[in-house]
Amino acid sequence: MASRGANMMLSRANRIKTKLQSALEATVLEVEDVSYQHAGHAAMKGTSGQETHFNLKIVSPKFDGQSLVKRHRMVYDLLADELQSGLHALSIVAKTPQETSAK
Amino acid sequence: MSCACGVKAIRLQVQLHTCSLRPPRAPPSQMLSALTPSLPSMPKLLFPYKPQPRPTLATAPLRCFSALTPELKSTLDKVITSNKVVLFMKGTKELPQCGFSSTVVQILKSFNVPFETINVLENDLLRQALKEYSSWPTFPQLYLDGEFFGGCDITVEAYQSGELQELLEKTMCS
Repeated sequence: MASRGANMMLSRANRIKTKLQSALEATVLEVEDVSYQHAGHAAMKGTSGQETHFNLKIVSPKFDGQSLVKRHRMVYDLLADELQSGLHALSIVAKTPQETSAK
Repeated sequence: MSCACGVKAIRLQVQLHTCSLRPPRAPPSQMLSALTPSLPSMPKLLFPYKPQPRPTLATAPLRCFSALTPELKSTLDKVITSNKVVLFMKGTKELPQCGFSSTVVQILKSFNVPFETINVLENDLLRQALKEYSSWPTFPQLYLDGEFFGGCDITVEAYQSGELQELLEKTMCS
């Protein structure tokens, strides 16, 4: 596992991927930086507008039996450090493997 | 709220934070003004707090400080139980200031249910306190019948599946 110092050199997207992949054993993990779509809005004034908003799609067996609120909270808890250091918003799609194959 | 209380609140905030908190402006709604009377009686910090250089809006220097005082918690309890549908959002119902908040407002309007909105951009302390209160780090935050329902993604998914309509009907009839 990379040291904390080396970790900070990675982009936020990569840090998010690493944290979620290892904790959630995700079978599908897509991380998309959409900060540019929100760079103009009120709460973003005065910031660089970079690495602030992400779309996440996660398919993990660990979501089985969890309500949507619980699933999202799991993700937020794993990314607590990022949320304290400039990550502003996440759009989360959190499914189990059974739910995606049922579609 | 008298002027004296407001002045005390500003002084107290300046002592506690030299960085991101602005002095509270007059809140637009009566509900919001009811949420801030606890400010003058905020307990003293139990540990030393070193003033930081002014950070960007995105970095909150509040790791070692809880914004959720017992008084604020009980006021929030009252707010979410005295209204069936409560939305803590960025901006107002008439003028949302964030796409996610705007989406939830539009969804709620489409059901023609009465709902109360609180603008968290008006008050940084409230904004931080709500994140602790709801154990949810982002806004909007929707409460139905006194219970946290979710943010924008969950609301949209429930709207598309029909679950939100059922829940709203149940909430309004109870």
